Amino acid sequence: MGKKRERLEVIKDILKVIRSSRRIKPTRLLYASNLSPQMFKDYIKELREKGFINMDEIEGKKEFYLTKKGNNFLQEYRVIENFVENFGL
Amino acid sequence: MIEWILENKELIKIVYGLIIGLMCFFIVLRVDRIFRLSLHQGIRYLRNAFFFYGLAFIFRYLIGGLIVYGYLNSVFYIWTKIFFEFFLVMAGFCLLYSLLWKKLDSDEKYSSSLFNFKMAIFYLIALMVVVLDFIWNSFYFLFFSQILLFLFMTGISFSNYVQKKRNGKFLKYYFVAMILSFVVWILNAIASIYLNWNPMILISIYLLNSIIFLLFLFGVVIVTRRN
Repeated sequence: MGKKRERLEVIKDILKVIRSSRRIKPTRLLYASNLSPQMFKDYIKELREKGFINMDEIEGKKEFYLTKKGNNFLQEYRVIENFVENFGL
Repeated sequence: MIEWILENKELIKIVYGLIIGLMCFFIVLRVDRIFRLSLHQGIRYLRNAFFFYGLAFIFRYLIGGLIVYGYLNSVFYIWTKIFFEFFLVMAGFCLLYSLLWKKLDSDEKYSSSLFNFKMAIFYLIALMVVVLDFIWNSFYFLFFSQILLFLFMTGISFSNYVQKKRNGKFLKYYFVAMILSFVVWILNAIASIYLNWNPMILISIYLLNSIIFLLFLFGVVIVTRRN
């Protein structure tokens, strides 16, 4: 069994999937994120609250896309990860 | 040299407060950028710790110095000591909590960094320490709380260093900073209780404190540097 992913790592993984697809449906993102439906729901809620992702609903079809803030997070992810590791946070 | 130090001790205090305050300001700015991107609670409390340290040193040494030189009304002098102690205790709690938050409350979601339930508890304890020292006209409660706090943080940072040294090179310096802080608080207590604030001990404390804040500034700048 693999090591449990850290919270920041899960966020990075979800954002990377969204970035690579540009726009992605919730079901596809759920499969790609490798999370339980409840955890997925919690993370999506958190990411929307943080303003990292947004959702469009066109003709009843939902799609997630990355915001500028989410894109910035991905670019700085290594710095954030380094910071957390180096300061024991 | 000693005579010069004694003659200019208030000026030295102002410069010292300004240097530490500026270092804290740069640390807060750098850490705040990382916090705003990640909204990571550990980063949030580390930033808050240096925010309070900055305020503490500016109040005590910069504003206190200006009062001594007559640029500000001496009525405020007692308040510089009160705020200094209050902000120092708050900073210590925030630093400790930045290391412990995962074990205590990993799902914390506060919108405000300075006004939330956890901070309210810290404010209350800090206020108690200040009031007790004010009643006893001493710094005993401050010294005792900080010695305990830094002893505990030395243990945590040593454990972090041993377990994760491959991932974070700064962990070693963090541990060193905690040992030095612990030593500084013991020196403070000795200088206050037994040596009537001996100037040479005070200069050693100022130097050690400057090294500690420089270490943190160095760590923050190196780690947050963009490639």
